[in-house]
Parts: sequence; C-alpha cells; structure tokens
Amino acid sequence: MEPALWAGDWIVVSGMSRPPRVGEIVLVRDPRKPENLMVKRVSAVADGACTLLGDRLEESTDSRTFGPVPLANVLGRALFRYAPIGRIGWFW
Amino acid sequence: MFLTRLLKPTITASAHCDLPCGVYDPEQARIEAESCYKIIEKYNASSDEQFKTRAIVIKEERAELAKHHIDVLWSDYFKPEHVQKYPEITELCWKAAKQCSKVKGSLDLGEARTLLEMIDKIADVWTKAGGPKATRVQNGVAARA
Repeated sequence: MEPALWAGDWIVVSGMSRPPRVGEIVLVRDPRKPENLMVKRVSAVADGACTLLGDRLEESTDSRTFGPVPLANVLGRALFRYAPIGRIGWFW
Repeated sequence: MFLTRLLKPTITASAHCDLPCGVYDPEQARIEAESCYKIIEKYNASSDEQFKTRAIVIKEERAELAKHHIDVLWSDYFKPEHVQKYPEITELCWKAAKQCSKVKGSLDLGEARTLLEMIDKIADVWTKAGGPKATRVQNGVAARA
C-alpha cells in the first residue's frame, strides 16, 4: 500500500456506519483466511461487495486474486495516521 | 515511553497478504540459460539418440525456467522508479523472455549465447538499480574471508 501506508504505520480506523466509498482505505477480513486483517483501497462497490486494490498494483495481492470482498468483511476505514510523527495526517 | 505504550495499536493489519521473500537475482535465469547452452553443446557432440532426446527435453524445461525467472524479475523486482531510471529494462526483459522461447525450440548454440548476453544486460540494470544489496543475503563465507 505504499506510499499511502507504510509497514509499521500506526493508524486510527473507524467502524463502518455506511458502506465504504471508492478511494477509501478500508480494514477488511481476508475472504480466504478470515483471521487475516488487511488494509486495501476500495476501487468499486457493487452488489453488497467491494473490489479492493493495493496501491502498488504490480506487487499487491488484492481483488484481482481473491475477487470482490463482501461488505460484511469490511470492518472499518482508515481515518488518521498518528505515527510516525513525520507522517501524521488524515487519509483524505 | 508510557505514552508510546498507551498509543501502540492493538490490532495489526497487513497490506501484503502474500509475503514476497524479496530475493531476486538474474543469476537464477542465467544458470538455467547456461544449462541450455551446455545441453546444446552436448547434444551436438553426441550420436546417442536416446541421450539426444533427453537433452532436448531437459533443454526445453530449462528454457522455460529461465523465462520464469526473467518474468519474476520483471514483474516483481523492477519497480516503476527503476523503469523510470532505466527505461530499457522493459524491452530487455521482454526480449529475453522471447529469446527463452527461441532457445526452447532451437538447437542453435548461437540462440543460447544470445540469451546469455540478454540476461547479462538485465543483470547490469539489476546491479545499477541496487539489486545485489537490496535483494541478496550476504554470503557468510565471503564475508569472513
């Protein structure tokens, strides 16, 4: 998910009060292995599921591999990064 | 310190769900291409039909492996910033992958030699792009010497 998210970033995620929107970074349960949590960017939402893509397309494993993810798997959306200090900021 | 502990996230999420090992080296492709080269030499030197048949089968396997390793370098190792800096890499990898197909179907030593040269050009870009340091684990024996 570089450059939006780097390994080791500390972020605040809010619960979902509405369906995710295109462009948002969401926290989701991996449909292949529900105990895995992932962060990916929403590229489309339709029929109760969203298509997720990593920002580094050439490296990412995302909906191109595991297909659209049911909205029930979407746990929250990334709001804010609070560490590291130099990269503090909102995600929109 | 207390504040850091307090603020430390409790849940970890991954952006990579498959873990790439991050080790990339054109040498992998080169060794397979060298196998093709030597097999063609041995094929030409032999009059044993069974040996020659086996040589062809093995050469085709090795050429396919070389192609796979080139594909992995191209699609996994080289990043947009590398392509920006060394724009020739796209064509080098593309042509080398095609050359693997040529070697697969040919018993011409010249084709195998061309493939080796192409892989060496890819290796040159890989080296300039910091590949040896970024992707390889240091050889313990060499380090102690």
